[in-house]
Amino acid sequence: MLTMVGLPVAAVAKARSVLVLYAFGRLLPANIEFDRAFREAISTTGLPPVSVFDEFLDQPRFANETNARVLARYLRDKYASQPPDIVVVAASEALLFLLQHRTELFPRVPVVHAAVSRSVLDSLASLPADVVGVPIEYDFSGTIEQALRWHPQARRLLIVTGSSTSDRRFEARLRAEAPRFRSRAAVEFLAGLPTDVLLQRLAELPRDSVVFTTGYFEDGDGREFTPRSSAEAMARVASAPIYGPFDTFIGTGVVGGRVPSFADMGRQSAEIVSALLAGVEPGALRLPPVMPNALAVDWRQVRRWRIDENMIPVAARVHFRDPTLLEEHGGIVLAATSVLLLQALLIGWLVFERRRRRLAEQATQKQRFELAHASRLAVVGELSASIAHQINQPLGAILANAEAAELMLESGGDCRDELQRILSDIRQDDLRAGEVIRHLRSLLEKHECERHLFALDAAARDVASLLQAEARRRRIGLEVRLPNTPAWVLGDRVQIQQVMINLILNAMDAVAEATASRRAVVFTLDSDAGSATVTVRDHGHGIPPQDQPRIFDSFFSTKEKGMGLGLAIARSIVETHAGRIWLDPIVGEGAAFCVELPLAVVAEEARAGSP
Amino acid sequence: MSEAPLVHVVDDDDSLRTALLRLLGAAGYEARGYASAGDFLLQPLPDRPGCLLLDLNMPGGPSGLELQAALRRQGVALPVVFLTGYGDVASSVRALQTGAVDFLSKPVEGETLLKALQRALSRDARARQARAQAAELTARFASLSSRERQVFDRVVMGSLNKLIAFELAISERTVKALRAQVMHKLGAHSVADLGRLAERLRQLAKDG
Repeated sequence: MLTMVGLPVAAVAKARSVLVLYAFGRLLPANIEFDRAFREAISTTGLPPVSVFDEFLDQPRFANETNARVLARYLRDKYASQPPDIVVVAASEALLFLLQHRTELFPRVPVVHAAVSRSVLDSLASLPADVVGVPIEYDFSGTIEQALRWHPQARRLLIVTGSSTSDRRFEARLRAEAPRFRSRAAVEFLAGLPTDVLLQRLAELPRDSVVFTTGYFEDGDGREFTPRSSAEAMARVASAPIYGPFDTFIGTGVVGGRVPSFADMGRQSAEIVSALLAGVEPGALRLPPVMPNALAVDWRQVRRWRIDENMIPVAARVHFRDPTLLEEHGGIVLAATSVLLLQALLIGWLVFERRRRRLAEQATQKQRFELAHASRLAVVGELSASIAHQINQPLGAILANAEAAELMLESGGDCRDELQRILSDIRQDDLRAGEVIRHLRSLLEKHECERHLFALDAAARDVASLLQAEARRRRIGLEVRLPNTPAWVLGDRVQIQQVMINLILNAMDAVAEATASRRAVVFTLDSDAGSATVTVRDHGHGIPPQDQPRIFDSFFSTKEKGMGLGLAIARSIVETHAGRIWLDPIVGEGAAFCVELPLAVVAEEARAGSP
Repeated sequence: MSEAPLVHVVDDDDSLRTALLRLLGAAGYEARGYASAGDFLLQPLPDRPGCLLLDLNMPGGPSGLELQAALRRQGVALPVVFLTGYGDVASSVRALQTGAVDFLSKPVEGETLLKALQRALSRDARARQARAQAAELTARFASLSSRERQVFDRVVMGSLNKLIAFELAISERTVKALRAQVMHKLGAHSVADLGRLAERLRQLAKDG
């Protein structure tokens, strides 16, 4: 027997924790950069270990009051038992959220803000004393200077701004700063133009131009943009290089600019956090007035505009350049090359072997797929009479209705009501015929093997309606028992339907010679927690015990005209769906074929969204 | 015979049956619909000229062909026009072999359908007329006394009056009188007429 030994939990000092609340999503590159630098800096402060928790407001996608309230409640409940010692808010939206919900969430917990621009801080009345941080400031002039340095031939500077209130604020600042550059280039403002007009202008710029833009939230026509999306639109058409003061512009086709670095912000925040944890009063902190900006540049644009690579400072953050191995670790590479060379021979041979096998597998896969399709064609051929019936029935009704209407109109009596009913019936029948054709087409279409979430019960229902007519043609009762609750399965709906059709037609063949009372096939779908089972049962001639082990083999058939492929294809389809198929011989007479498929685990919203 | 014909439409497809009834109504026929063969058999069949428009393939219960056979066994002689949505050759051959008037594939054009019904109805009219004549003949034959029947039998076998008188041990005059009585009762004008009637009666006896 093992004895439980209680650990002296109380003896362990209470761990310190920091909550970082990001305004945007988890995968935003800026957040990743910030997080990496922040954690690294925290872990090297020499303090006892600090736990760092992250939460994300997921702006702007979930930016509304309701979400904010839900999130606030969530955070309160989650951190009720272990409130953080310090909260870091990244970007202005996070700061605003926290200020709004602070009393209910983390009253008296000091707050460190990061990536909040000075203009936002200025617009707030005043921050509480225990909310501290280093603001960022966008460097318009520095960016423009950089642009003019990289394009010595430039004689024109175009400055693009928009027409929303904050766009106008940037414009005003730029108009104040612009005179500095007049000696160097002719400065022209393209402020508050409609986007169409603006893009037209940018597309026709002479070669000696450079463009600076803050992007805009709203253009001259009142259309809404984000600064990033407007910058992207400009960069797509402009015949001159574009610069901007925001990190977010990198990747849109903008060359770059002097922008605040998120890694720096992470490190700065970590420093403040460790000071606070060490017991420094927030008011006693000595903080720089503003974060320094760094040069960011898109390497692809450097190439495109033929900027002299030697003019790019070493400190610049270069994006979209994959450093070569030689550049990064020249020495190691040389040493490793010889070892690699030897390995390469071995690997090369293995890869060749593997590739050969994969090609063979692909060929098999393709063959299996072709075979499944061919067998579907054969099935539909077999069903042609009953399909004709299903289509002819509504067509017959439509024709008779139309001719009745014609006769009524010729007779000239008042038959409005009857005609109305006739037209509505014709519509119904037309839809009925269309539905049959739709089912048929989905069966006949040659499509790649798909993996979708689909409702197995609905697929089974379609199969049942397709085969009811065939059953009636053969004068066989087809009893269908389907559940009312949906059974969700991941895979190829058409192929699974093919398996069901195949089993039902086999069962119908088995009872073909049976007496009237035994001419019945029962088609059932059951599902439990983890799987769904389709069962097709008949009371026909059954399968002799000596044949039972071979029925799923290719080219094995007990039927006179059978190809012996139906069940083999069915098994291959079921197995690619991670399911299994088996024969359940009924004591006495007949057979039952069962197909078990794993149910997909789906969230409610996925169910609602799937057809 | 002056009664208007009644068309019976048996088809399990509600929509198609309704449409057919509308078409027949608009074309001036009186028509009645049934959702299954059983439904049709359960309704009392009025003694009216008519025909049957029958779906060949109905689920559950008797099929069109089985219904046709059942009706024949019951002595119901309504001509049948078959409709089918499957259009398979084997059943159509069987249907026509068993005396269906026509075998039509859905969707069927109004004109084709109405022509087929017209043929079925005129066949019914002829059959009804023949049946009426047969019934009359049977009734007349039933009105013969046993003596008259004995004379009738021998006359149609070709026996001469003298022989008949000898066989029945009656006078030749009495034979002549009985013979005139028989001719009158059966509405025959000559011995040849009598022979034809005898043949009809034999046929009826055999069928009945």
